Amino acid sequence: MNTFYAVNLLVYAGVDIIACLALNLQFGVSGIVNFSFIVFQAVGAYTAAVLSMPPDTANGGFQHYIGGYQLPFPIPWLGGAIAGGLLAIPVGFVVLRKLRSDYQAIALLVLSVIANAVITNADKFLGGAAGIALVPPPLSDRIDPNTESYQYLYVGITAVCVVIALVVANRIVNSPYGRSLRAMRERELAAVAIGKNPVQLKMTIFIVGGLIAGLSGAILVGFIQVWAPSVWLYPETIILFAAIIVGGRGNNIGAILGALLVPVGFEEITRFLNNSPSIANLGPPGLIPALQWVAIGLLIIGFLWFRPDGVRPESRRVFEGAPVREDR
Amino acid sequence: MDLFVAAFGFGLVSMSVIAIAAVGFTMQFGITNMINLAYGEVMISSAYVAYYLNRAGFTIWVGMAAGALFGAVFSFLLNRILYAPFLRKGTSHLGMVIVSLAVSLMIANLLLPIVGYFPVSYQEDPGRLIRWGSIALTRDQFIIIGIAVVLMLAIHALLTYTRLGKAMRATAANPTLARNCGIPTQRVIDAVWLITGALCGLAGVVAALDSDSFAIANGATFLITVLAAAVLGGAGQPYGAMIGAVLIGMITELSAAAWSPQYKEVVAFGILVLVMVLRPQGLLAKRGALAAAG
Repeated sequence: MNTFYAVNLLVYAGVDIIACLALNLQFGVSGIVNFSFIVFQAVGAYTAAVLSMPPDTANGGFQHYIGGYQLPFPIPWLGGAIAGGLLAIPVGFVVLRKLRSDYQAIALLVLSVIANAVITNADKFLGGAAGIALVPPPLSDRIDPNTESYQYLYVGITAVCVVIALVVANRIVNSPYGRSLRAMRERELAAVAIGKNPVQLKMTIFIVGGLIAGLSGAILVGFIQVWAPSVWLYPETIILFAAIIVGGRGNNIGAILGALLVPVGFEEITRFLNNSPSIANLGPPGLIPALQWVAIGLLIIGFLWFRPDGVRPESRRVFEGAPVREDR
Repeated sequence: MDLFVAAFGFGLVSMSVIAIAAVGFTMQFGITNMINLAYGEVMISSAYVAYYLNRAGFTIWVGMAAGALFGAVFSFLLNRILYAPFLRKGTSHLGMVIVSLAVSLMIANLLLPIVGYFPVSYQEDPGRLIRWGSIALTRDQFIIIGIAVVLMLAIHALLTYTRLGKAMRATAANPTLARNCGIPTQRVIDAVWLITGALCGLAGVVAALDSDSFAIANGATFLITVLAAAVLGGAGQPYGAMIGAVLIGMITELSAAAWSPQYKEVVAFGILVLVMVLRPQGLLAKRGALAAAG
């Protein structure tokens, strides 16, 4: 258990928690099945990368991408978050406006697959299939990123972002707006009947979720320093969905719990299996990673069957001012 | 100009392939109310069944029949073992979409260690080129078009003239009422999964035969094209899916000639977005789910 291992684990956990909080706002609280969630994270990562990198003629021009503005630290991350939020506007406009919720889900799934294919094929835009590498870590012009103290600093900044995301998510969940979202999730027609505009409600939470997702991407790309289409394939979204379903839909503690159980656990098991050659070389090549994806699928199906509310179910909110009818 | 005439010929083949797949998908959705996102993976699994038979020395036509059978049994079991219990439990539509996506992920990754990442192709002599102006299609491509035409007519006959087809339409329109009228809806739904599964499996083999080579990753691209055609025609409507397949097949091939074949799926997606913005109910929505043509 060395420092780099611990730091790596903590940063990934932070990124996954932020992502799960955002997805929980959309899927858990509002009932929007955002199958293209990972695209918002990717947009944040690409934006943060090109804002912080030098122009692509640097380093011998071995890679091609647009931008390259070398902006100082908080700006690329803010830019990543804003890019995620901005992307939510046109996507939401097409998808959320009048489509049925199951149509929304498949449209977003298709968007995720297509966006990945387009970026992979467009070589000059964001590095194509190879992606972009040598993304400078934040503040690397002032502090040497290879020192231990920098690693802890990164964990600290990530933790601050987690706290910000949690506060925002909590404020939303507990606000009147959050109540409207839950009402819409439970029965959209009833929410419309009391004067709520579901398109507006969904659009807002879609943008907020996009902002937070973009931020999570920016944090991740600053840490791993590379970004490519292969890290944001659509199954990555399914892992996050598994996390929300396992943790418990609609409550932030459940989302955090799910993030720690599923994506972080998945990551750790992968590392463990790859470190033990007797298991990693079992069967035909690719067997173990493939079985891990099968396990994610089983996790989703198992939880939806046996425990659809997750490990920590959303607490039933009761209005205390009025007499409560007991159901059982 | 010749390029576009040739592309028109490929468009005919493409639309035939898409039509077989999209009609199966949309009937599944229309009658059982289930958006089965594992459809593309069932297609690619059937294509591999045919591939292994083909490699064992059987002709591709035997493989096609086996693929259809495999697709039928697989889809039937998928519904019986997984989807139907979830639906009985009262899982929401969105829950079912998530379940089917999880299934799709599982099929793809169970298949992957068996078939590997590398693209494969059938060992099949496509027959001599048959020319008609600038359109040049192989014998196999003509057979694909023929199969599609026969199947579309068969689906039309099934839905219009047979008791089973009428029972299917009744089940699609109102399952409770259909059951109260004495239609064994459970058996009808079983039949739907068998028939649409056969279409799905056959479509997988045909799609693999039509492309030079195929790989495990094609499951997702198949699904996107099928979704585009089904949504364009109005999801749940076989005749809409046929029209959607004609449009998507032709437009993607013509765009491949004009632009780049790399972006076929992107064009299909562009059409999907346009439909969702301009006419989200699809082209044929006014007729109601599974109404007879004309």
